[in-house]
Amino acid sequence: MRLYDQIFDVVKKFKELFSPGPVTNADVSGSLTAEIFLIVSLVIASLLLRHVSVLLAGLVTLILAIVLISNIPLIPKFKIEQDDSLNKMLFYAIMVLGLIVIFMYWGGRFV
Amino acid sequence: MNELIPLMVIVPMMAALLISAFSKFDKVIKVFAFVVALCLPIIPLLSNYGVHYFGGYAPIVDNITNILYHPAITYSFNFPQQIFIGMVGILTFLVVFIYLTKYTKVSGPYLFLLFMGTAAVTALILTDDIFHMFVFFEILALAQVGIVAASSIDYSYEMALKYMILGSIGSPIMLLGIGFLLAMTGTVNITDIVAIIRDGIISTSSPMFFLSLALIFFGWLYASGLPPFHTIKSGIYSKAEPHGAALLQSFTVISMISIVIIMFRIYSVLPIFEVLIVLFSVLAMILGVSLALTQTDFRRMIGFLAVGELGFIGLGIGLGTQYAITAGLFQALNEIVITALLFIGFGAIVNATNEVDTRKLGGLLASHPKVGIMLLIGGLAMAGVPPLSGFQSKLMLVQASLSCGYPELSILTIMVSIATFVVFVKTFYSMFLRPKPHDLEVVDKDVPRAMIFAMVVLLIIIVALGIFPDVVTNGISNFVGGMLH
Repeated sequence: MRLYDQIFDVVKKFKELFSPGPVTNADVSGSLTAEIFLIVSLVIASLLLRHVSVLLAGLVTLILAIVLISNIPLIPKFKIEQDDSLNKMLFYAIMVLGLIVIFMYWGGRFV
Repeated sequence: MNELIPLMVIVPMMAALLISAFSKFDKVIKVFAFVVALCLPIIPLLSNYGVHYFGGYAPIVDNITNILYHPAITYSFNFPQQIFIGMVGILTFLVVFIYLTKYTKVSGPYLFLLFMGTAAVTALILTDDIFHMFVFFEILALAQVGIVAASSIDYSYEMALKYMILGSIGSPIMLLGIGFLLAMTGTVNITDIVAIIRDGIISTSSPMFFLSLALIFFGWLYASGLPPFHTIKSGIYSKAEPHGAALLQSFTVISMISIVIIMFRIYSVLPIFEVLIVLFSVLAMILGVSLALTQTDFRRMIGFLAVGELGFIGLGIGLGTQYAITAGLFQALNEIVITALLFIGFGAIVNATNEVDTRKLGGLLASHPKVGIMLLIGGLAMAGVPPLSGFQSKLMLVQASLSCGYPELSILTIMVSIATFVVFVKTFYSMFLRPKPHDLEVVDKDVPRAMIFAMVVLLIIIVALGIFPDVVTNGISNFVGGMLH
């Protein structure tokens, strides 16, 4: 029942996401599709880690699936993080730059 | 006629300068812009394949290392360049045609930006010089900012400014990467750099070489609008005039493939390069489509879908085989056409209703059946429904990822296509099929004929490429084969 309540809460969250303005069935079903799509696609993408280590892929996939499902709804959080705020855009740009440089400079030759 | 190769850049650039200088003479620049725009797709069709050395400085042989050096800025023109420059030429013509027929008094600076953007993107795909690539990458970024700022849509200035600020991070970082590469190899000619790397003159395991890849790669993410720049890229599409957005997305796609091909030639010796490309492409596909599903502004929705589609192109390049890269480049060509059709078609709806919120629209099939049907076909093409062009390239990508041993990527590709289909079904239903809301005050203007004409031309290309993909894929495959060996 807890998971059912959680899924039902998702719809309520979506109503907040689309406010102000009317919320149509198409919008909510689109957001639910996005929610399921996001979880499934990230889990499938994590399976690619099997090329590094099968055990690692299994563990990451399992943990990711549990974390994602227990944190639904994800889309409102994703949407808030990816709005048109310059601060957020700059934050993510600098963070990605830092990660790429660190990853390449110190770890590039191990791939 | 190899003399035509530099003219592909010089003609739009000179036209831009002349139009800007003589913008007071309204009728004259209208005719001039139309004629130049008409010439743009014709020049690449008439030109022979080959190379052009600026200043006539032919390559010289280094007697010690036996490497052939290229002292001149070199333009290389082959089948993919021909097809992409031709397609941008067609799009520029259609966009200029729509613009000229829409306004009685045209803006010289706006036409300047359109032509300058076309010149920059043409130079990007032709050049064999990494610094030359950067210069035109910068010009293109500024032209894009200008096209967005010049539109009459609310908050367009703000979005353009944000894009410029983010560019002020992306561009210098890329330049720094090019600087590291120049410091190591002593040349900016890409063919020379590749020869130096292949001959083992520099160490490819040097951290400096990795760092140059990281920095250029980050600049490429900015140029392509892949994460973390997907939000701003979709934002600028939604704040540009619809015909401007159609051209902007083609600029993005071409700059993406131009830079990634250059990076591929230089860095494909590093396995991490392909891992990075695939990683960011998968992220773009997932984020682009999931955010498109939640949009209520249909211009923003197309913007996010366009970003998601870029992931397919990156996926093809990242897989790195001849078949996969061919599929990626074919997908790039299809995306240019399909997304342009969608931007122009949805722009026609904005023109007719003055509304962009799908929640407030409805019943438009009755008043705009032609636009509705063409948009539906365009949407189906983007989702990869046979026998349209998007189906052919996506099928190739699925086959390529399967043959490379990555069934997960094939599943993801199919899932993203299905989600794209859902986005279109939802939007098409909301805008065209469901009953018209009572409070919808449709301005009820006719859709401009120039827009219908542009949509028909693009639709013909989509159907033709869907039925006869070999016309394009054979030539691209031969080019890619040459690049890989």
